[in-house]
Amino acid sequence: MFVLTLSVIFIMLYEIRLTKFTDKLPFLRSIPGLKAIEEAVGRSTEMGKPILFVPGIMDMNEVETVAGVVVLGHVANMTAKYETELDVPVARAIVMQAARQVSKEAYLTQGRPELYNEDMVHYITDDQFAYAAAVNGIMQRDEPAACLYMGKFFAESLLFAETGNSIGAIQIAGTGSQTQIPFFVTACDYTLMGEEFFAASAYLSQEADLIAGITAQDLIKVILVIVILFGTVSRALFDLGLVSFDFITLIGI
Amino acid sequence: MILKRYIPIAIVAIFGSLTLSAWFIDNETIETFANDDATQFFDIIAAFAVFLGALNLLKLQFIKFIKKQKGWQYSAISILSFFFAFIIGFFIRGAYFVDDKVFFTQEAALESIIILDVSKEQQEEPYKVQENSFKNLSDAKDFAIKQNLITPVDWGAHVQKNGSLFQWMFKYIFSPLSATMFALLAFFVASASFRAFRARNFEASLLLLAGIIIMIGRVPAGGLISSWMVMYLIVLVSGLYIHYLKKKNNVTIIFTLAGFILVTIAGMITGWPIDKPSIFYLPLLQEWIYLVPNAAGSTAILMGIGLGIVVTSLRYIFGLEKSYLGE
Repeated sequence: MFVLTLSVIFIMLYEIRLTKFTDKLPFLRSIPGLKAIEEAVGRSTEMGKPILFVPGIMDMNEVETVAGVVVLGHVANMTAKYETELDVPVARAIVMQAARQVSKEAYLTQGRPELYNEDMVHYITDDQFAYAAAVNGIMQRDEPAACLYMGKFFAESLLFAETGNSIGAIQIAGTGSQTQIPFFVTACDYTLMGEEFFAASAYLSQEADLIAGITAQDLIKVILVIVILFGTVSRALFDLGLVSFDFITLIGI
Repeated sequence: MILKRYIPIAIVAIFGSLTLSAWFIDNETIETFANDDATQFFDIIAAFAVFLGALNLLKLQFIKFIKKQKGWQYSAISILSFFFAFIIGFFIRGAYFVDDKVFFTQEAALESIIILDVSKEQQEEPYKVQENSFKNLSDAKDFAIKQNLITPVDWGAHVQKNGSLFQWMFKYIFSPLSATMFALLAFFVASASFRAFRARNFEASLLLLAGIIIMIGRVPAGGLISSWMVMYLIVLVSGLYIHYLKKKNNVTIIFTLAGFILVTIAGMITGWPIDKPSIFYLPLLQEWIYLVPNAAGSTAILMGIGLGIVVTSLRYIFGLEKSYLGE
């Protein structure tokens, strides 16, 4: 595990250095869900309706929540640019503070501090279903034109997505919660599945360092696929008695 | 700049590295820090942050209520509920024990042990507590309190003690409301499945088919459906598909009849075993779908998520990602 972690760090740093050396942004495939965020903001602007951003129900100690807050920063940049109303109900007080900071900076960056209102990010409750009830209530009353769900979700994911669907909002979800991905895929217009969600920040910022991290991630994935294929073939050959060593046992799996 | 940028990044880098190293370094101090101390730091910060959250909640609900904004009635309920929970959590013990019985108030507990005896002999001192008689109710109450006949629940424990007012609120208001929200999920699953299972394209049709096989294969009735019946159904559906493609009745009839005859001959030869060929026996087929294609797909997604989390965390630790600070 230690060697694997070191390898990941090494590959990541190598890719970043390579990107800086070549001074050329690595290719990043188009992610429809992320492209749709701007479309969703535009739609809300045209309709004069707010955008609802739900950063999950967990605290800042979850990577997914941090990734969600990072995406919120980019969304806030767009809402500041297009003067669209943004509503961010949160389930954790620490997330509220972090989300406020990120949104405030976004509005300042866009030169629209007067549009920033601290209460656009507001706390509801820590409890899962009470939070779900409150967010569903907001959806029913305010009828946002776009609902974005970015963070860690549990059983409430479908409650949000189906309510959002019933009010006709364009819905984009992003999560690393594997069990909730099918619900979001079913009920939302676009879903960022797992790694796509973690790549969102790099994709939206187009920063070389961050994109290099994604390239490193892909490189590691290719290595893993090769290891899996090699392991499968070597194991089959070992079971058939054609080779005397078993690669899978050798690497300790 | 230093306070808002470099110090937070340094804190993330130091604490992130320490937590990461705890997985690899066999040192009790580092392990204790990562597993206990750091978690407690977080809990303490979160506990204080809740005050900020609660104040924000109250502020917004009050504004909504005072300005009579859309849905202000819900704000009124929120404010009332907040103060009800706050008061019974901080100021009212809500549980007084008399032997095994529990009462919300001390008054109710006292009333349960003070007996009013109105018989002729007792008219002078009508109030009885155990074997003692009193002229006034207040004297009887004082006696009961002094004798510790009523045991109030300890502060702190009162929010968890069964029978307390706080627990009553939890059990009879909060839990049913939460359960109601959770129960809504069943209806939402049905409506979402309805949309997902509409055979719009090849992928959706595949999902529909897999869904039907999994659902039928997992119920006891699924085990009673012979694999031969499934084969007949496949022949019939294939016949319909061929008719849809070719639009020729002769081709459809010949294909369907040939299929039926082949299945019938195979069945007669093998003696119509209910679970053979096993690929068409629904309980086995659903298990295969669940354990092979489903597991393969979900493992791939899981690997992507794992890698994403590792690389994202490293980006935070190395200070490459600063967006969470608003940069």
